[in-house]
Amino acid sequence: MKKRLIIIATVALWVALIAITWSIGTGQAKKRTEAMLEYALSDIRVTIDGAINTMMEHLAVACMRRIGKADLYSREEVDQIAKIFDIDELNIADKRGKIISTNDPDCLNVDMTLKEETRPFTALTNGVTKVVAQPFRRHAYANSRRKYLGVPFPGGEGYIQIGLDESRMKSMIGSQFRFLFDSEMGDTVCYLCAEETSGKLVSAFLEDGEETTLEDIGFDFGNVPEGDGIFEETLLGRKAYCRSFSFAGHRIMVIEPEAEFYETRDRIVEVMTILLAFVLGAFALMLIRITGDSERIKIFYRKEEESRAKEMDIAKTIQSSALPAGIPDNHFTRIHASMTPARDVGGDFYDYFLLDSNHGAFLVADVSGKGITAALYMMTAKTIIKDTILSERDLSTAITKVNADLSRHNPANMFLTAWIGILDFETGIVEFVNAGHNPPIAVKKKGGEIKTGWIKEKSGPMLAFMEGVKYKSHILQLAPGEAIFLYTDGVTEAMDAKGELFGEERLLKTFSVLKSCEPKKICTLVQAATAAFTAGASAADDITVLAVEYISKPNRLVRSFQTTPQGLAAASAFLDECFAREGFFDLKDEKLLPSLHIILDEIASNIVKHSGANWFEVNIELLGHPNGVKLLFIDDGKAYDPLLHLDPDTTLGVEKRPIGGLGILMVKKMSDSLVYFRERNRNFLSVKKFVLDEAKK
Amino acid sequence: MNIEKKIEDGRLSVRVDGRLDTNTSPELESELKNMEVQNFKEVVFEFTNLEYISSAGLRVLMSVQKALMAGGGKVKIINPNAMVKGVFDMTGLSGIFEIA
Repeated sequence: MKKRLIIIATVALWVALIAITWSIGTGQAKKRTEAMLEYALSDIRVTIDGAINTMMEHLAVACMRRIGKADLYSREEVDQIAKIFDIDELNIADKRGKIISTNDPDCLNVDMTLKEETRPFTALTNGVTKVVAQPFRRHAYANSRRKYLGVPFPGGEGYIQIGLDESRMKSMIGSQFRFLFDSEMGDTVCYLCAEETSGKLVSAFLEDGEETTLEDIGFDFGNVPEGDGIFEETLLGRKAYCRSFSFAGHRIMVIEPEAEFYETRDRIVEVMTILLAFVLGAFALMLIRITGDSERIKIFYRKEEESRAKEMDIAKTIQSSALPAGIPDNHFTRIHASMTPARDVGGDFYDYFLLDSNHGAFLVADVSGKGITAALYMMTAKTIIKDTILSERDLSTAITKVNADLSRHNPANMFLTAWIGILDFETGIVEFVNAGHNPPIAVKKKGGEIKTGWIKEKSGPMLAFMEGVKYKSHILQLAPGEAIFLYTDGVTEAMDAKGELFGEERLLKTFSVLKSCEPKKICTLVQAATAAFTAGASAADDITVLAVEYISKPNRLVRSFQTTPQGLAAASAFLDECFAREGFFDLKDEKLLPSLHIILDEIASNIVKHSGANWFEVNIELLGHPNGVKLLFIDDGKAYDPLLHLDPDTTLGVEKRPIGGLGILMVKKMSDSLVYFRERNRNFLSVKKFVLDEAKK
Repeated sequence: MNIEKKIEDGRLSVRVDGRLDTNTSPELESELKNMEVQNFKEVVFEFTNLEYISSAGLRVLMSVQKALMAGGGKVKIINPNAMVKGVFDMTGLSGIFEIA
């Protein structure tokens, strides 16, 4: 758009400048032509005059020699000599300048020294001056314009003066003087001479000389002004500027062809056109580049902003996709967590997962930096932490390994703070490692009242910061109904409009209104408090909160069996054994035990016959609220998710009915919840069956 | 599991007490094999004291049914408890066996 504007403006400027040049050039050309014509005009006048002077001097000298000396001669004698030499007037003056003999009676005895117009001739008596000439002029005593020229007698003893009438020149112009006008109509000034009355050309105007009259060469004589001014005429089809004057019955013209007239202007315009095209073109290109640059810079910044926003979106997606969807069901803990990403996504994350049926890990971490780099590093850190904790059961060793791993593969020099805890469902003991993270809050109960306190034990520096650091773990006891609250610095460093930080003190105070240790309530309470504090100001950092509540120790039995028919029988006997125990025994549902037997038989026989496992473990656990029993099967066989098994068509006749698949179908129909997951190369299948009437499907 | 067999009028009666699952089904299967069930026009299973039946047990019943079909015989189930009846229902087998 701007580019087009610049081009249009440049072209307009170019045209305008050429027009100005053209108009100035035209003005200059006119002045120049006027000067040229003026010069040419006076030049031809002088030339004609000079030619006539020469002719008259020869005549006068010849005449003087014939007369011999200044003496008294009769009018007849003088007139005779004048006729011989074809002279209109012949005067002989004595040494004092007095005309003593003449063919014009009016001139006799005239003292030439008296009158202004005749006085110059007195110089001829000084013995030095050889000739005195005067231009054609109208004389009071002559009918036509007459020209006088005088030469002295030898020794300056008087002189003779001859006068020729202009009319006498008429024949001379056409004969003796025609060469003066012999020029062609060309590119420079030329001359033209024609008889005034007939329009007959005296001079040859073209080489072939065919044109004989002014009309032949396209000259309209009527156009020629009486005076001296410039006029335009078209000669031989070419426009020309002319001036003219009359002489001896002839019209003599100087002609400047228009080509000549405009040649300079056209040359200047031509040069200017090219020159301006270059200069303006270069200027326009420069302008276009400059504006283009500024446009490109704008686009660059916009794209930069867009890609930044896109990057943040990606980072957000990575971050949120890395968060756990939910902890596999268990009845010993309740966990709630939430992360609110900042505009410039930080590297917060949390995680929780089961180590086995008796231990659950939970952690909150904050990766240094922001954006995609932080998000990607977060993914790496999260994976390494989980994998290491799952494979290395000693927490302090696991975190020491995590740190070594993260420090080793850390080209971007990222680091992270983390608080990692493992809750033992059986005992309520939390073993934890704090790697430079904010201290969590323990939410305890004393005499029915909620008491909060910092868990300030430090275990080591932040992770990935220093290779070779050994981390130590600490221990914390939770009673059923107590909780731990974890968070990132996005909470304590939440800023209000005045730039004040939320801080640890305010955080701890927030808990004073807490009525229960339910994790979701704790998290909501803290989130609401920070939101109220910042009053809607956009968060500078991610805000992450996580609360874990220990509910109760499990009532369950666990036993491992061999993948043999004997193992299968033993597993069945184990179920009966459980039902003889307190709690299980109290379940008043006569269909429960046979249903569980069928379920156990189907799943365990499947493991024994098809999985290739070396062993399988059965967890039998009493559930409360609603009452029921959970069977958890763990085996080290090949991955097999029975839920993906297609149900057999139960409407087919017996002859077409496939034998397999009925077992899984029965498990699906008889259980209230069926969850499969695979971890550490093991199959986990959890089946829940609730007491009839307490929980309907 | 306890198995009692009785033959009268070309009809085989099998009474199964206890549990019929992966552990016990092979025993029932071999017992019936010895009796050459295909020679009977009817095999009656008496399930009054059967606690439960898993797919392994169902498989035995289905193979008996297939064996009898060639000679036009049939399988009859007598007096199953609610649990066992429920299994027949959920597997669609109540439409194949005659249950009384």
